[in-house]
Amino acid sequence: MDILNQLIGGFAVALQPMNLFWAFVGCGLGTAVGVLPGIGPALTIALLLPVTAQVNPASAFIMFAGILYGALYGGSTTSILLNTPGESGSVMTALEGNRMARRGRGAAALATAAIGSFVAGTIGTLALTFLAPAIAELAFVFGPEDYFALMILSFTSVAVVMGRSMVRGFAALFFGLALGTIGIDTQTGQTRMVFGTLELLDGISFTVVLVSLFAIGETLYVASRHSVAPAAVNPLSGGSWMTKQDWKRSWKPWLRGSVIGFPIGALPAGGTEIPTFLSYALERRLTPHPEEFGQGAIEGVAGPEAANNAAAAGILVPLLTLGLPSTATAAVLLAAFQNYGLQPGPLLFATNPDLLWGLIASLYIGNVILLILNLPLVGIWVRLLLIPRHYIYGGIVVFAMVGVWGLSTSWMDLALMFGVGLVGYVARVHDFPIAPALIGLILGPQAEIQLRRALAVSQNDWSVLVGTPIAATLLTIAALVLVVPPAIARLRRRDRAEGEPATSAG
Amino acid sequence: MSSMKNDSVAAGGRRPWWLGLAILIMGALWLNGARGIASTTNYVGLGPAAIVLAVGLVLVLLGFLLIVQALKGQLASSAEDEEEEASFSRPAFLMALAGVGVPLLTICWLGFPFSAMLAFTLVTHAFGSRRTMLDLGIGALIASLAWLGFSRLGISLGPFFPLLG
Repeated sequence: MDILNQLIGGFAVALQPMNLFWAFVGCGLGTAVGVLPGIGPALTIALLLPVTAQVNPASAFIMFAGILYGALYGGSTTSILLNTPGESGSVMTALEGNRMARRGRGAAALATAAIGSFVAGTIGTLALTFLAPAIAELAFVFGPEDYFALMILSFTSVAVVMGRSMVRGFAALFFGLALGTIGIDTQTGQTRMVFGTLELLDGISFTVVLVSLFAIGETLYVASRHSVAPAAVNPLSGGSWMTKQDWKRSWKPWLRGSVIGFPIGALPAGGTEIPTFLSYALERRLTPHPEEFGQGAIEGVAGPEAANNAAAAGILVPLLTLGLPSTATAAVLLAAFQNYGLQPGPLLFATNPDLLWGLIASLYIGNVILLILNLPLVGIWVRLLLIPRHYIYGGIVVFAMVGVWGLSTSWMDLALMFGVGLVGYVARVHDFPIAPALIGLILGPQAEIQLRRALAVSQNDWSVLVGTPIAATLLTIAALVLVVPPAIARLRRRDRAEGEPATSAG
Repeated sequence: MSSMKNDSVAAGGRRPWWLGLAILIMGALWLNGARGIASTTNYVGLGPAAIVLAVGLVLVLLGFLLIVQALKGQLASSAEDEEEEASFSRPAFLMALAGVGVPLLTICWLGFPFSAMLAFTLVTHAFGSRRTMLDLGIGALIASLAWLGFSRLGISLGPFFPLLG
């Protein structure tokens, strides 16, 4: 019952007019960036980070939560109508959703996506409500070696899961870790890797790296390859809202998608993409209408859309309870917490219950707002796509400059934006994942602190790192994450025909 | 033009060995940097140089692996990427890059709004827009509004036009 009381307290915070206003702003912005290609929730929140200097934390996080969920709602819209997923979590939606739109069932596809997102978002938030405090309680017993092991697990799984090959994933991760070592060492006050410049003493700002990798890298990439003609918008032909049959075929995929999405989202390298793949595959296997798959089966929209929203709630579990980000967006949220001098984790539930429960309550409210914003108003959001692309990307660069220059009006930050932006472009061209770099940059310094703390306590006895059952287990899992996928790939390669070169295995 | 494109594909697209080299050089930089960090003897546990050293070592290793992979052809892009590679437009890329770089030259004496206006216009032109005056106008409008709006939020974007003091 304690949780219910806390939640009611959270609603009291979230329902204050000012916070409701910020929730609306966040949901609106989130839907807009979800619809627009090239901008995602991570980038949007990063560009808004300077705002944290002025807005109180509860309001800011309520807005950020709206952006997180809103982007998923908006992403499904472009997947269905344009066949260009606005977000990586909406890729699977495009498969069946766009087929439906071409057959004049666009409105039904949008409806099942929006309602499915609402159902799954609410289920996911419920799970978060009851699970997070329990995990936070658990995390109280974590010592530095346990945290270090947890972060190692996070590093390895992010590097292994994301991207096309392990080497690329780890290259991205260590690029981030390397950037994280720049600046003054927090424990001894020594300067490290500053290359003789005063500007680098404070380290490289997370915002600068994120904005450059995403916004600048993406702009350079699209600009150099924009000759590919944009797809035409499928018109929303009328009279095709969800029929009784559609409802009957949708509700089970919604629930199954939620059940798949939440736990995977809560894993250290969950993300929102993998659950959508799994949900799509599952619906395809279970459907009574297998002949419709590939032609616009409504189950193929309902399931993945539910899965990605439930996963978004799942991502918040490790972030809020352990301070562990598992996606780029979560890493930005962690940076936002740090901007306020707050460290997400078990203590935050005790010291800032208003903030955390207000945030959780706002997720329920945000889902309702998004349903209202997206079901009847979808036509308005689609108009955003009529803005010429050169203005969208021009605007992205201007706002990237606002985000970077606004930090401390430092020329060095702009120069970094240029350099890291080029790195982002190269990463985009050669398929290096970006999330591991961001997670390495933000978690690396913390992992170092925990490691050195553990070793200081144990008087340099390295066995302390496997000294507790939790740490030993986590490190074992991390080792398995590292060893098992290549082993499986090798076995599979051996099973397959010998003449086949193994290019697809990695 | 087309021969230039083919060169770039041959040098970078198919066998991007320089990617690994870049990572390797970065690793070497970090290794070298670790040598310069004085290790404090009175500190129990790991000193400040240890992580820098470890990161440098792993980067060198990864760079080496990437070079080997590239030379074996394992980094070759998939068919879909080759298609994209074929449509690479060097002028558009350089124009966009100039848009991102021009504030470096101008921001200290022209200030944020004018620099952002120039960046905006260069990027729109990289995307094929040719209405320079209109783009300059829209850029100036967006940049000024951003400058005013964020100033009101208490975020300083520097003086409007530094040359006027």
